[in-house]
Amino acid sequence: MMTPLTELQRDALQELMNISMGQAANALARLIDAKISLSIPKIVVVDASEFQQMFQSERYWFTRQSFLGSVKGEVLTLLARAGTETIGGLLDYPLPLDARSNEELLLELANILAGACLHGFSSQLGLPAKLSMPTMFSARQRDSDSFNWASTLLLEVEFQLEGTAFDSRIVICLAGPSVGVLLQQLNALLES
Amino acid sequence: MEIADLHLQLNNRLPLGICVLDADYRVLYWNDFFSDRSGLALADVLGQSLLGLFPQQARYLKKKIDSVLVLNNASFSYWQHQPHIFPFCSSRPITGEETLMYQNIEFLPVECQDATVRSVCLVLQDVTELASYFFAEQQVSARLEQEHSELKALNEKLTMAQHQLLQSEKMAAIGQLAAGVAHEINNPIGFISSNLQTLQDYAVRLLKLTEFYAKVINKAGNETFLAMQRDMQQRLQFDFVRQDLPELLSESIDGIERVSEIVKNLKAFSHVDNAQWQYASLVDGLENTLKIAANQLKYKVEIQRDYAADLPQVYCQPNQINQVFLNLLVNAAQAMDHKGHLYLRAWQQDQSVCIEVRDTGSGIAPEHLSHLFEPFFTTKPVGSGTGLGLSLSYSIIKKHQGDILVRSEPGQGASFTLVLPLQGPDSAG
Ligand SMILES: Nc1ncnc2c1ncn2[C@@H]1O[C@H](COP(=O)(O)OP(=O)(O)OP(=O)(O)O)[C@@H](O)[C@H]1O
Ligand SMILES: [Mg+2]
Repeated sequence: MMTPLTELQRDALQELMNISMGQAANALARLIDAKISLSIPKIVVVDASEFQQMFQSERYWFTRQSFLGSVKGEVLTLLARAGTETIGGLLDYPLPLDARSNEELLLELANILAGACLHGFSSQLGLPAKLSMPTMFSARQRDSDSFNWASTLLLEVEFQLEGTAFDSRIVICLAGPSVGVLLQQLNALLES
Repeated sequence: MEIADLHLQLNNRLPLGICVLDADYRVLYWNDFFSDRSGLALADVLGQSLLGLFPQQARYLKKKIDSVLVLNNASFSYWQHQPHIFPFCSSRPITGEETLMYQNIEFLPVECQDATVRSVCLVLQDVTELASYFFAEQQVSARLEQEHSELKALNEKLTMAQHQLLQSEKMAAIGQLAAGVAHEINNPIGFISSNLQTLQDYAVRLLKLTEFYAKVINKAGNETFLAMQRDMQQRLQFDFVRQDLPELLSESIDGIERVSEIVKNLKAFSHVDNAQWQYASLVDGLENTLKIAANQLKYKVEIQRDYAADLPQVYCQPNQINQVFLNLLVNAAQAMDHKGHLYLRAWQQDQSVCIEVRDTGSGIAPEHLSHLFEPFFTTKPVGSGTGLGLSLSYSIIKKHQGDILVRSEPGQGASFTLVLPLQGPDSAG
């Protein structure tokens, strides 16, 4: 199961995430010239079936990309099916989107959002990590056993594009050993 | 070897295109991969805008590079979406069909020591092999898909053919049985029938004789004899016998006539008699049959004809086809209870002539539709239908390699359509 975080550690992590996500949202807003609001980042404890549940929704597209560096894991991005046309317009895609350009847009969006989040996260904590190319992901056929679950920490944040139906959720999943690295770093920050 | 030297060598040995730009898209560096494929040496492009060098893709490149600069975050371009960003050729000039190179590109932010000068590194990967493999796979799976659906269609056809085979086997078996039965029954029926006729004749004579005796006794007026006669007649219930005898006989004769009619149908059904094959007009056949059936149709049936002009003749057994017409007409008349509309239509369809007989009668219940052509299937009261009419018609039409189609809804009448190939059985595949 999940490595338990102390109240203190969790608060600190949340605060750090909050700052970095704010930066991410700003950068994104500059790029696409639109107002973006975001939720307070959640550090969630979910079990395997709840995790699986996230990918059952008809409302979202899913992408995933892994990251490597001093911490390892995967970023999963949920992108609302509604409102992609609007974003496509903002990102200078020819409209209406066909299947191919829709996928291209989703991957680009996911990369921007996930990149911004991970960048904020890793620079705040001083834990550099590099993202690989995102790919589309379908978890529907997979059963929860197939997820490498043992000790995964989920950091989740929601982005919303104001004035549109579009929203997305970014979930950073840390692989087992990386959780330890994160905790060490957190403790170091808390002590100083 | 210096480490910088090593880096440079590696840069040029790796199967990757590497190109570094400053924030104004100017080329700071590109490796041999780029020079080889573009034909432009590094010295020629140094300091020039990449957007100017590749104007076709300038807009896309600018977007990607801007995103990297703004977000300080890597960006990617996939061959599936943007296959040929740079107009380079694939690396198989001799063996492969030389095609445009499929490319995956990473746009990476590069941290320089001097933080004010920000730069972007493009890493280009030739994925033509992968792409062509992918396309080949796609073709294979499309072919498989198609073959699969063809197989499925074939399977359905086979099931249908098997079904039909079963049906015609059933028909054939019943035909043989019917032929045997018809043959066996025919002779006894013959003599029973003629004996009955004779019996009827004898009975009339016997009755006449008894009448004569009665008259004679009455005339003689002998009380004793008269009493004996009354007594005997009463004991034997002679009044009743005299009345009943002729009725019994004529009923029996009717009955045996019906039996011989059935036998005749059975014989026809099993094609005992071999009719002549020839070219004939189906419309003429239908009209002739109408005259024969006029008796059944005359009362309140209105006949509407719609025959296409210049219909070609059809190679067939006209007598047998007329038999089919007769069955259809009689069925229609019976279904309409002898009043209603009868629509007769004839037209050509490809290499066949079609005849439709449609009535405004009671129609056919859906659950009966599949049994219509089965021998002995009838909904008519015992004695008035043998249930052989349509099965006989079916086997005649099948022998012509034609088709007989039914459409009906209860209460809406019924329509039977015959489709007969112009050139007879051998022409219809
Ligand atoms: N035009 C029609 N309208 C309604 N029902 C029909 C029509 N034609 C045939 N049928 C139905 O199909 C059954 C079978 O017809 P088929 O001609 O084989 O036998 P039949 O008419 O009952 O007897 P037979 O023709 O030997 O006197 C009929 O009993 C009747 O129920
Ligand atoms: Mg009939």
